[in-house]
Amino acid sequence: MKFTPELSFAGGRVRPLTYDDADVLLAIYQQPEIPGQRVPDNKDQMTRMVDYSVQMAATQRGMIWLLEVGADDVYEVQGMVSAYDWQPSNLRVMMRVDGLPVLSDEHRAAALQTCMDFMAQKYHLRNFAYQWIAGQKDSIKSVLETVGFTAAARLRDGWRMGDSEFADVIQYHLLRAEAKPVPGRLGEQDNPGQNLEKSFSNKDGEA
Amino acid sequence: MNWNFNAGNFSLRLPVSDQDGDALYALMNDQAVVDHIPRQAMTVSAQALDELRRMAMRFETREAAFWLVEGMYDKQVIARIGIHHINWMQLSAQLQWELSAAVDLAVMQEILPQVLQFIFEELKLHRIEMRLCASERHEQLLQQLGFVREGVLPAQQEYEGDNVDLVVYSRLSSD
Repeated sequence: MKFTPELSFAGGRVRPLTYDDADVLLAIYQQPEIPGQRVPDNKDQMTRMVDYSVQMAATQRGMIWLLEVGADDVYEVQGMVSAYDWQPSNLRVMMRVDGLPVLSDEHRAAALQTCMDFMAQKYHLRNFAYQWIAGQKDSIKSVLETVGFTAAARLRDGWRMGDSEFADVIQYHLLRAEAKPVPGRLGEQDNPGQNLEKSFSNKDGEA
Repeated sequence: MNWNFNAGNFSLRLPVSDQDGDALYALMNDQAVVDHIPRQAMTVSAQALDELRRMAMRFETREAAFWLVEGMYDKQVIARIGIHHINWMQLSAQLQWELSAAVDLAVMQEILPQVLQFIFEELKLHRIEMRLCASERHEQLLQQLGFVREGVLPAQQEYEGDNVDLVVYSRLSSD
């Protein structure tokens, strides 16, 4: 079964992780955007991360995409988009983009928007959150506001950077306007769950 | 580590699953006591036993710790105070309390400093926050006890058909 889809956005695409991505994942994590994030030193951890990304998506706990910029089968990896702390009952999820320095704000915004659109349409998520951590680029805050996020709270010392160092976290939220899905009995709406090969439009899973 | 301690005229102790059911039920079957969480009040005593078992399991994994607050002399349970969502990596946790009508600022000024001392000095946590529905009584108490209002997180859960926003207050070990 396929859990994480490839999605296009203006100027690039996001796609699921594969074992062949271990090197690029390691490269991304050599330049962490988040202050205090430990730099991994071997590829094995990245391989486990690919496994983890599949398990998270299959169990609706999270989703990870590789963010690539380019077109016509010529793409350059410039980051990752992650959804985590997924709360299906509350239709809520936390988003995060880890970008290499070369990733532009425009591509960051477009990739984030595309992934959120997918999760809103496929899983009916309505409440997206994003945590900006003091020390990250200020321009990320503008990106979030451009996409539609609003700062909701400043969590003092909400992020630990070392043994006794902490950074404030600004928590943003974006509430989607779409109506919430109406609960139904199993089979009533042919709920496709996380299986992307099925859809609401065709219960047989045909294109 | 001794998880039970005294605070002024009160003692705070971890509950005993097969003994504290009645006291917990008496506290938690009052809707006013749990409105700020938000949660529905208990309606049958078996719910208190279930809750006690959950508390014990969560404590076993050090995911949470809840104390019953009882008078030192009359042994009446007047509140439950606890921490949950303990994040040992981030050194943070969420505070939760259910207070009977008998608990006012003076009582909390006896209890909470000891709770915070335990959290910051014994458990070595750095940040303690409370997330709650807007509530004049509880927010006033939090502010009088030195908590800082950090903002409002929208639509955090659905309760009684409505989306519930939660206000966030915090205390740091460095405050």
